[in-house]
Amino acid sequence: MTRTRVGTVQTSLSYGVLVALAFLVLFPFYWMTVTSFKSEEQMRSLVSMFWPRPLVGENYGQLVAKTDFLKWYGNSATVAISSTLLATAVGTVGAYALARLRFLGRGFMASATLITYLVPPSILFIPLYAQMRSLGLANSLGGLIAAYPSFTVPFVTWLLMGYFESIPEELEEAAMIDGATRFGAFYKIVLPLSAPGVLAAGLYAFTQAWNEFLYALVFITDGKLRTLPVGLASFITGDVYGWGYLMAGAVLTTLPVIAAYIYLQKYMVEGLTAGSVKG
Amino acid sequence: MAVPATHIGGKVAVRGGTAAGLRRVLGPDHRMGYLFVTPIVLLVLSLVAYPFSYAIYLSMTYKLVGLPPVFVGFENYVRLSWDGFFQRAVVNSFVFTFGSVGFKLVLGVVMALVLTSPIRWRSFWTGVLLIPWVAPTVVSALNFLWIFDGSLGVLNYVLVRVLRVMPQGVGWLSEPGTAMASVVAVNIWRGFPFFGISFLAGMKAIPGELYEAAAVDGAGTLQRFRHVTLPGLKNIMIIVVLLSTIWTFNDFQIVYILTRGGPGGTTMVMPVLTYETAFGAQRLGEAIAVALYLLPALAVTIMVLARYMRKGRKR
Repeated sequence: MTRTRVGTVQTSLSYGVLVALAFLVLFPFYWMTVTSFKSEEQMRSLVSMFWPRPLVGENYGQLVAKTDFLKWYGNSATVAISSTLLATAVGTVGAYALARLRFLGRGFMASATLITYLVPPSILFIPLYAQMRSLGLANSLGGLIAAYPSFTVPFVTWLLMGYFESIPEELEEAAMIDGATRFGAFYKIVLPLSAPGVLAAGLYAFTQAWNEFLYALVFITDGKLRTLPVGLASFITGDVYGWGYLMAGAVLTTLPVIAAYIYLQKYMVEGLTAGSVKG
Repeated sequence: MAVPATHIGGKVAVRGGTAAGLRRVLGPDHRMGYLFVTPIVLLVLSLVAYPFSYAIYLSMTYKLVGLPPVFVGFENYVRLSWDGFFQRAVVNSFVFTFGSVGFKLVLGVVMALVLTSPIRWRSFWTGVLLIPWVAPTVVSALNFLWIFDGSLGVLNYVLVRVLRVMPQGVGWLSEPGTAMASVVAVNIWRGFPFFGISFLAGMKAIPGELYEAAAVDGAGTLQRFRHVTLPGLKNIMIIVVLLSTIWTFNDFQIVYILTRGGPGGTTMVMPVLTYETAFGAQRLGEAIAVALYLLPALAVTIMVLARYMRKGRKR
């Protein structure tokens, strides 16, 4: 009897904590969305604080009409998609080699990749900027596409190494006894089996590139070439401090990431835990 | 495992001679291996190793933007050591980092515990709690900039007008007394889900028999947590705490967007100081010296962490 009562108390406590945490996590997003539909007057007068009244779309209209927001959207998409494709391709083959193939220097290269993943961008951004400048890639999306693999590739590689290591080696050995080449075994057996892992890694590379701020802030000086995070942040340094359209921009910047996340949550949660820490 | 190594990738072995010698030295899969890792090696060399070495060189120069560097040895580092503003940034960085990481650790354990307790819609709750980790950090920082706003912010509105616990609003980010706590809070908000999800994975890996055995021996909930859960999570905790320490120490966006290091330098942390020195004051050499000042500590942390991460994989 007491045992089940202890259980009930614990479960209610769990729900209480969950609701509190969920509130803390979701409130900023709720607040951002509500703000984006409020009119300028309502915001100043502090009436009907928690719901837009009247509910207006003018912030979104202004954002599209008066700022370079749509351009930034395109820039972010270009940069994030190109660097994701690059990182996933390079990372997948590299991770397979480092996880499975036997060759001299493998252990060293695996460690080097991991260490690269841990080197923080705050150390690299100035020399990388100098490098991009001397290559003529400063102030261009090409510079960002060239620089983003510095963090996406090591991450994708490390994540997928864990994934490939979890696939039983016997499958490939069996295929090779049946006459498949080493490459054939990789292409026909391992790759299809790892599709969820590759998908998760690609999604993470995408969100990292989509969310990246420091390199984009430093490399890009032309207002039209900004990516979304830098563009949004530039609203607060401008003289017009329009919270309405700033929050409208925040909503639209968050949408693709959250949509992808809701749709593919299972893969992303599994991928993260398999790749980052779990044995 | 029953297949002898020489049978794998058999064709090359039959040729014999130098090919066999190469195979013995470079390993049986060296051709495909080197082909597959070449792109990574090139990227790592050009995007990390080279810039990193160049950074070390630049930190020993007097360099203004657009002018050639002049070598000055360790002068930048020595000068920084006596610079009061820099010293404060170092202290701030440690306060920011350890304040954040400590709370993230506690909240992460709480999150993992409630997500492993018998609840409905577990994956829904997991998904919701992970949102701060996947959402763009700039967006989150801007959200909190708005929430913390001194005159129109919702936090002051709730505290002053709804709950009536304060007579008047606080400029959370503009007053020296609250600015650091506010940026730390945002960093905790963004980072605790990663702790939680990692501990959740760790807890799932602890064999259920251990809990059963502990229960048979009469251990209560707290004792099981203390003697089964915590020891089982030890490795993951070390990894996550070290990872987060590196990330938090080098976090730029949250502080840059919320306070830019202000008011009066009370939240100036090293990455923001690096940026301001480089692109505000245009002193590149000194800026990189700021970024690299704690390199020995960072290198040790990375080495220890890499060792734990590789060990975690081999289990």
